[in-house]
Amino acid sequence: MTPLLEVTGLTKRYLGLTAVDEVAFEVEAGTVVGLIGPNGSGKSTIVDCLSGFQPADGGQWRLDGRALTGLPAHRIARAGLTRTFQTVRAYDELTLLDNLRVAAQERDGVGWLPSLSRGPRLRAAEKASEARGRDLLATVGLAEYAEAPAAILSYGQRKLLAIAAAMMARPKLVVLDEPVAGVNPTMIRRIETVIHQLNAEGVTFVIVEHNVDFIMSLCRRVIVLEAGEKIADGPPHLIRSDPHVLAAYLGQRRAAELEQRHGSSLSPEGERAG
Amino acid sequence: MMPGWLRALLPLLGVAGLFAVPRVTGNEYVLALGVSFAMFSVLSGGLNLVYGYTGLLSFAQVGFFGIGGYTAALLVTERGWPLEAGAACGGALAALVGLVIGYSSLRLSRHAFAIVSLSFALLCMIVARDWVSLTRGAMGIPGLPVPVLHLPGWSWRLSRPADFYYLLMGFAVIAQTVIYLVVTSRLGRAMRAIKLNEALAQSQGISPLSYKLLALALSAFLAGVVGGLFVFYLTIVDPSIFDFYYTETMLIMVIIGGPGSFWGVLGASAVLAALPDLLRFTTDLRMVLYGAVLIAAMLVFPGGVGGWLRRRGLRRWRRPHPATP
Repeated sequence: MTPLLEVTGLTKRYLGLTAVDEVAFEVEAGTVVGLIGPNGSGKSTIVDCLSGFQPADGGQWRLDGRALTGLPAHRIARAGLTRTFQTVRAYDELTLLDNLRVAAQERDGVGWLPSLSRGPRLRAAEKASEARGRDLLATVGLAEYAEAPAAILSYGQRKLLAIAAAMMARPKLVVLDEPVAGVNPTMIRRIETVIHQLNAEGVTFVIVEHNVDFIMSLCRRVIVLEAGEKIADGPPHLIRSDPHVLAAYLGQRRAAELEQRHGSSLSPEGERAG
Repeated sequence: MMPGWLRALLPLLGVAGLFAVPRVTGNEYVLALGVSFAMFSVLSGGLNLVYGYTGLLSFAQVGFFGIGGYTAALLVTERGWPLEAGAACGGALAALVGLVIGYSSLRLSRHAFAIVSLSFALLCMIVARDWVSLTRGAMGIPGLPVPVLHLPGWSWRLSRPADFYYLLMGFAVIAQTVIYLVVTSRLGRAMRAIKLNEALAQSQGISPLSYKLLALALSAFLAGVVGGLFVFYLTIVDPSIFDFYYTETMLIMVIIGGPGSFWGVLGASAVLAALPDLLRFTTDLRMVLYGAVLIAAMLVFPGGVGGWLRRRGLRRWRRPHPATP
């Protein structure tokens, strides 16, 4: 079976600096894959390139067999790869429900003229998207605010709204860029539950995070980047003890010390990448 | 909140009231105010669509207005076309020009578009003044004939001031209806999404360029048509049709009314269309006053009437639901 997402040779340079260097990986349908790495390791650049927000300097990627290389962001989204943003984004003046309906309207095949004439096709499409929007708001626990403008939401609630919006158009793959950065522990557990639930419904996730504990408990497979290169790829328990990963996170010497003492070190209560 | 039937009835009553005015009074001053309101409401409504809903600061509206005016005047006087064909052509040409400047500058950035639109408006005035063989230069085209409008089964000679009142008010009603349909449809929702957060809209499959060009072309078309009709009311078209006065007036209407608020901008257009005549005693100071009003509005009244109403709505939500983390 071909993987859902297939990335080969992805490269991005800024002037002389190679931010992402020939990165290749695959994501199987139905999985939750974590993408971690210290600051500046190229995680967010990869997300921006894959979703069309920055042009890549090299490499190819396919979603479900369809080449997405070089397409503009809105076409990549329509092809079924959606994303959230590190700096959480929402349409503050629109209601939560409208925030979600906007996210679905380019994929229901109703064109501009039918949208203006408000015929039965448009009404059916909008009704379906409202129903899905209310379902998703219930899933993320914001149903009671459906008619409120997004401006009233707290930071963590906005992260939940962003996840719901990324789900609206029934994407094949969702990339979450730091879904729990700056979020309090209660809300982190809530977001974790939501991701589990949506994954159980068949959505595939790639999650970029600094919060190692969050990734380790959520993903069955983790990809580690350092300085633009992939240095490890595997299940969390192997990643925790991988000498390259330890060196990347803790520095060569400290990693060697810990290696001698404990055998492994990215402990659940322990060190996090800043 | 008003009940639904009243909300639907009020605009109809308003339109009926406006059309009854010439029957009640033949006062040319009142009719002139009405024409001015009708003309400005189309310009500010279009600017609201582009700036208020889609987030593109545009100074090009006056260019489209003048292009429509010149095109209609030339086609009617030189080619003997009927008014409706000349004005429609003026609108179409304005829309085409709008697409060209939009397509070339919008792929760069919103700021590039704002600057290009300003340069375009200035360029229009220079072309009108210096391309003498086409536009007859600074003298313009005076003495435009009394136009005849050919409607199915009826030809209408616009000889009285009331005729122009009906014509421009009629077109304004059509234009406002079109704008209202767009901004309340999901096209308008997508435009607002682009204004509020363009990257998020892109990540949801919305093509910002398509919607920006749609808003721009539609507003240019409406401005072009209203320009084509308005010059026959003035009976002259000269380079002053590209005057900054129009730009400033429609900007004030949109900013006071509230960018992105259909009724706010329409209301502000009505009030401010009457104002220049109240300020007639200070013709020289008028532009200074407008500038001062614009700056004051930006400082103490951001978002205009529409923004104020929106903030009130927000308070309503914040009070009974204290935000959880």
